Amino acid sequence: MSESSENVSNENLGEQLAGEAAVRTRSLWKDAVGRLLRNRLSIIGLIITLFLIISALFGPYIAPYSYTEQDLLNVAKMPSPDHWLGTDEIGRDLFSRVLWGARTATLVAIFTTFISVIIGVIVGAIAGYGGALADNITGRIIDIVMSVPGLLLAALIAVSIKEPVVTWAENIYDTTGFPLFADTTWLDLLVVFGGLAFVSWPGYARLIRGQIFSLREEQYIEAAKSVGVSELKIALRHLLPNAIGPVIVTLTFSFSSAMVLESSLSYLGIGVQPPQASWGNMIASNIGSWSYRPWLVAVPALTLAIVTLGINFLGDGLNDALNPRSKRSI
Amino acid sequence: MFFYTVKRLAIAVPTFIAVLLITFTLTVISPFDPVAMMMTQFEGTLDTLAKEEVIERIRDQYGLNDSYWVQFSRWIGRLMQGDLGISINGQRNVLRMIVKTFPISFQLGLAGAVVTTILGIPLGCIAALKQNTWIDYTIVGGTLGFRTVPVFVLAPLLLVLFVLVLDIMRVPRGWDGLFQSKVVLPVFILALGPLPVVVRQTRAAVLEVFSMDYVRTAKMKGLHMWRIILRHILRNALIPVVTTLGFIAEGLIVGSIFLDSIFAIPGFGGVAEAGFRGFDYPVIMGVTMVSAVMIILTNLIVDLVYPFLDPRIKIE
Repeated sequence: MSESSENVSNENLGEQLAGEAAVRTRSLWKDAVGRLLRNRLSIIGLIITLFLIISALFGPYIAPYSYTEQDLLNVAKMPSPDHWLGTDEIGRDLFSRVLWGARTATLVAIFTTFISVIIGVIVGAIAGYGGALADNITGRIIDIVMSVPGLLLAALIAVSIKEPVVTWAENIYDTTGFPLFADTTWLDLLVVFGGLAFVSWPGYARLIRGQIFSLREEQYIEAAKSVGVSELKIALRHLLPNAIGPVIVTLTFSFSSAMVLESSLSYLGIGVQPPQASWGNMIASNIGSWSYRPWLVAVPALTLAIVTLGINFLGDGLNDALNPRSKRSI
Repeated sequence: MFFYTVKRLAIAVPTFIAVLLITFTLTVISPFDPVAMMMTQFEGTLDTLAKEEVIERIRDQYGLNDSYWVQFSRWIGRLMQGDLGISINGQRNVLRMIVKTFPISFQLGLAGAVVTTILGIPLGCIAALKQNTWIDYTIVGGTLGFRTVPVFVLAPLLLVLFVLVLDIMRVPRGWDGLFQSKVVLPVFILALGPLPVVVRQTRAAVLEVFSMDYVRTAKMKGLHMWRIILRHILRNALIPVVTTLGFIAEGLIVGSIFLDSIFAIPGFGGVAEAGFRGFDYPVIMGVTMVSAVMIILTNLIVDLVYPFLDPRIKIE
């Protein structure tokens, strides 16, 4: 009798603890959101990021003109009611092209971040779980990739794989006749994704490895191990939720740096090719005439600057919100 | 110390060889065919039947039909002799192009690094001393903005601002040596790129040193604040800043790629940019390798100097 009542009370205690834990988890995220919204800079960042996402999703519907439509009577005109931000050197509406550029930048940033996170998590997990040898080998590979400036390596890769990718797509088109492979614009994007993903995964791999190594020392992981919870379950139930904060912060920062890298490649004529709109190639094609058509350079440049600033402010705010202990330490 | 140096070198050398391997592999899969390039100048003089044969013969002669590893080792051998190949656009010696332009970029980069340090360390100190005030937020947030805003965005915006809107300078173009007023804007722009790294590193280091016992003792002794900063904090806080030299070098190299053409500076970055724009493989490869050497060397020097600066680091 007394035994069963003890059991019941134990169960109750367990439920109580679980309940408390649940409340706690919620309040942690609530706390994070609260901290994020209290920070004025991160609110500005959030608004800018929302604007970017809206322009990327609905830009083509908002844009008053197409990104290729030329108005040859109004070439390189200052902003006017017809063309809110003026027209470019061959008479295209600048406002519409900036909106299309938002779509290019966001698309590249999302895909690059996605691919590099996957590679980074896999490599990081191998380094963290594969033992000393695997850790050493992956560490060396990361060092090698990081010893070349990211932009140069991405550019070299993009230049090198461009032809093979195009031939590959042509071959597929010749054999299958699939209309998708006749269009070369997304191949440019594919080449850029490849180059950028190759240079951006090491950051994630290092982060994941570091998280695995530092969290493994925590007592709750040790406790879980000692009661016989499997490695996989520990990874999914304990490591993942605890590592998610730093990963989200890194995601935000690398989102903006992927955007900048895409613009840089496009600026150098390697990435997104005209007439496709990219803020990078818009700046590049007008940089020579900055002194007499300053708005043609200033509009895409300011857009890129504001967007990267905004995303970085958001990332910084998220860093403070999600990792309150490591406040602003790099 | 000797073994430590050897060990560091033993890490740096394979890293560089791996970089060479990546570069070489990329050009193998790339569309660049030196023989096809050569043949373009004989266009029309050879009939089509013989052409294939001639191309095959030349490929054999230059060893382009050899296996990957044979070609790779031959390429390394040529690199050892300083042969980086001939550029496609303009048929110029790539090594000579780099050697000619590098000193200019090196001077600019050095000036940029100095400006970054001069601006970054005081800003980092101020941010740390005014931790969590609006001054701190302004410094950290303001420099953070420059972390990713690239040179080709910053340069035209600053040019428009200073030349067109404020009208306080003429268009700075060209290169007449380092001590010219037209160098100010390019150097300033170069310095802004790596600035946030230095600011954040200094800030974190000062905050860490600030909580040390000897600083508290110095404070209790009634020492002046600036004296504590100079004598006790800065000396110890400077050490971690040295580790950012690799980042600074990378920032300066990438910055100069965009900067040189905007300001018409005949530098290393301009060679790189022209190489990329013209899909000029020998130039691109040369530039990539030289940049990798610079960064690997900087990191090696940092690794070797660090134990002298920080006696707490034990050399195994």
